[in-house]
Amino acid sequence: MQLTTIDKLIKDEYRFFLQEKKSWSLTVEPQDLELVAHALRVLLHARTTPDFLADYLALVDCQNADGGWSPYSADQESTVWVSAFCGLMLIRGNRFLHHERITRSVQRAIDYFLDTQKGDGRWTDSRWADLDTTSHPVSFFNVVMALNEFHRRTDVLRSWEHGARFIVDHQSQDGSWSDNDFHPSGIEITAHLIQDALVADLVIDNRIRGIRESCAKGAAKLYEWQAQDGSWDGENVDHTMDCTRSLMVVTRILNDARAADVIMRGLQWIITNKNPQGWGDFPGMETNLERTCDGLDTLLKYKAYRSNDSREVVRLWGYVP
Amino acid sequence: MPETWTEICRLDEFPSSGRKLVKLNGIEIALFNVGGTIYAIKNRCPHRSGPLIRGFIDPTGGIKCPMHGWRFDLRDGSSERPAKATVYPVTIENGMLYLRLS
Repeated sequence: MQLTTIDKLIKDEYRFFLQEKKSWSLTVEPQDLELVAHALRVLLHARTTPDFLADYLALVDCQNADGGWSPYSADQESTVWVSAFCGLMLIRGNRFLHHERITRSVQRAIDYFLDTQKGDGRWTDSRWADLDTTSHPVSFFNVVMALNEFHRRTDVLRSWEHGARFIVDHQSQDGSWSDNDFHPSGIEITAHLIQDALVADLVIDNRIRGIRESCAKGAAKLYEWQAQDGSWDGENVDHTMDCTRSLMVVTRILNDARAADVIMRGLQWIITNKNPQGWGDFPGMETNLERTCDGLDTLLKYKAYRSNDSREVVRLWGYVP
Repeated sequence: MPETWTEICRLDEFPSSGRKLVKLNGIEIALFNVGGTIYAIKNRCPHRSGPLIRGFIDPTGGIKCPMHGWRFDLRDGSSERPAKATVYPVTIENGMLYLRLS
């Protein structure tokens, strides 16, 4: 795959993404915050965050009194999954924005996750499987530690380790994670957990024994699950993007060269099955803006994956400054 | 048939275990034939708008979204998740399948 092809796709899709700003920007009207977080991630990886300070501050403005966020910006009941995604975008965005209000907002988000963790290490959210939900605050805390935010550091470390161990302890013998209520196949959860929650420890702290093996087994399961055509989970565009991105960061950290061909075939399938503008949830379906954000993110991460600097792709998960 | 019902197709064109996507008044509706019983449900999952037409049917009359696994009862759209799906009444007359939007 020529990088010039990737660059052209990124340019075209980013232009389309900006055209759709009214659908994702909190500066226009109240929004679905899961979509907003997806959009802020695109800005971050397209390196345009400094041009969108107002969007980041608008996200601070809709933080709830308990430090979390609601799935819809105008609501006031916090839920864990979206709160972690918002907190993650703020702490990562603030590397470029250096804004005191964002710093305080991140610290309030830390308080929220410390307050909501369950006794066995998990976090819960009725909208997501517990394992998926737990991976989000763990991921947020990974970045909190990697980017040297020291607010309540001792508590964060204890909470992070408890959450990460909950995830490791629930891995199946075959290397996958699954949830009978939400994701019996386990493909999306496995892709999420190894990239968002676990692999960071190998770069940041090496605190938890068995993480390398756990990630390697999870990645091997993703190889096994890939279809001949390069897709995952019955031509599911979202899950194919998840698996492709997950393997980029996990295998880069594990230094597993076998993934290169798997990633290439996943990316090729994603590009082949895009719409003239954006991506749908399955081939041939109408464009969905959230999926388009995921598609752009996949292209931007692939470009970083191909960089001569092996840490460049890891940086796009926030695990190195 | 009253005007409020919309003709969809002949029942014999919709085999058992079949599924069909139709668009009425701009609304995508997923139809499922589960063992001879026809169900109609709004195609977009209330969670992240995943296409239920690509979902997984379970033997107890539920449909699970292929994106993040939210399950809905095809009879009334109820769910253990914090949202309900919209279902639509269907009827069969003279071998023809009809659906009513309201």
